Amino acid sequence: MDTLTSLMVLAQVGSGRLQGGWGYVGACYGISVAAFVLYSVSLWARRPRAASDSKE
Amino acid sequence: MNKFVKWGLPALTLGLLGWGWWLGLVWAPPDREMGDVQRIMYVHVPLQWMAMMAMFINFVAAVTYLLRQSWKTDALAEAAAEVGLLFGTLGMITGSIWGRPTWGVYWSWDPRLTSEAILLVAYTGYLVLRRFVEDPDKRAVWSAVVAIIGAVNLPIVWFSVRWWRSLHQTQSSPKTVDPQMVLPLRVAAFGMLGLMIVFLIHRYRIALSERNAEVALPEALPSDDPAQRASQSSKVA
Amino acid sequence: MRATRSVGLLTTTFVLLRKDLLIEWRTRARLNALIFFAMATLLLFSFALGPDTKLLERNAGGYLWLAILFASVLSLGESFRVETENACLDGVRLAPANARAIFLSKAVGNALLLLALGVVLVPVMVALYGVKIVTGFGDLAGILVLGCLALSAPGTVYAAISSNARARDVLLPLLLFPLVIPALLSAAKGTTLVLQGDPMHQLGSWQGLLLGFNLIYWGLGFVLFPRVIED
Repeated sequence: MDTLTSLMVLAQVGSGRLQGGWGYVGACYGISVAAFVLYSVSLWARRPRAASDSKE
Repeated sequence: MNKFVKWGLPALTLGLLGWGWWLGLVWAPPDREMGDVQRIMYVHVPLQWMAMMAMFINFVAAVTYLLRQSWKTDALAEAAAEVGLLFGTLGMITGSIWGRPTWGVYWSWDPRLTSEAILLVAYTGYLVLRRFVEDPDKRAVWSAVVAIIGAVNLPIVWFSVRWWRSLHQTQSSPKTVDPQMVLPLRVAAFGMLGLMIVFLIHRYRIALSERNAEVALPEALPSDDPAQRASQSSKVA
Repeated sequence: MRATRSVGLLTTTFVLLRKDLLIEWRTRARLNALIFFAMATLLLFSFALGPDTKLLERNAGGYLWLAILFASVLSLGESFRVETENACLDGVRLAPANARAIFLSKAVGNALLLLALGVVLVPVMVALYGVKIVTGFGDLAGILVLGCLALSAPGTVYAAISSNARARDVLLPLLLFPLVIPALLSAAKGTTLVLQGDPMHQLGSWQGLLLGFNLIYWGLGFVLFPRVIED
């Protein structure tokens, strides 16, 4: 019995794959997208007014 | 600014980025060792590549400015530094989030992470310097000098930190890349490239119009009759 | 033609250096202030970290170089403040002195000042942290000279820039600290090896790194400095 459980544990270790972790993935993509949106807004807010008026 | 740059490029960028991330998050298989966490690669690695590219553009613009003075290269250097700082900061944040489940810590004094942190501080200093110098000519020359010195420093920092670390431990990262991971990475990288170009173009136009406003300031001083004043100055010019 | 120009450069450098050192020697205010500032820093490290003598002994090299680095920011800022008062720098350039000679004289002057500071600080460090100089004074002197030169070359360029900007007291460390990290790292490592013994012969490679850093930044400063102070 003991050997069986230890074998099962070993098998899990052997597969060595990290389980789950979607939270970390979501955080990375979420932070990046949020930062891009914020930066776009800041670019829009700083847009050159006089130049665009004269051109369009 | 033509139609393609204004609407087509952002649309293309969003499409590529969305497609690449869909491929990376849904289509690609999880990594053998890191599992689903490895999907962070499709945002982290393109961010780092684009940060390096923006810093490189900044360096080239700085050298070009010192060789031949022009407000365009100065504006490009400013735009590239700011966009590079954005991408680099995001790259570092995603990298340390990725480090938490794989290395067990957010911050590992890994040579790459450490060098990048130093690089980001250096470019923050560059942008602060630009804020603190009023005279546009001096600002352009000085910031170009700082940009060149900072860029030269990067390889030195990298080597020194690697040496410093190698006395304690060596960081090993498995480099077995599945072909099904290459496609999403490529698509996401091209999407990120498009995004960087869009940001660069808009930031460049802002910087250039600021430069033009600064240089034109003496003639734009308020006078009794603005219209007359403007016509006079244009005649003189 | 070339020969006369290079002699002119060295002569100008020497004259300017003598002028700076003379000003410094007349008052000795800057060196005194630096020494007391750096000593206070060394003392504060031991207070901040508690009376753990083992810890202090192990990190003594790092504390020494941090003290020198903090002092160097004050010293570099001051070396150009002297010139911007009364627009002396313009006067020197109209003399006419080569801008590269100004760079060399300022950088060498700052390096000498830091070196003097280091020479004063080492015995203080030995007494305060209870360390021994294991591998010999020659190695320590080499590290000290190379480290001070490495701080002063990029520091001179950045001090010239920040002395004319707003908020120069914030700007100089913000620009300088990330830049001199390789120099700080190798100087601190080298000093630690000198103090604790060097069984694996790593001292040479750290000295090599410092030397390379010096070559790159003295060269870059020499090339770029004229653009910094041009009008």
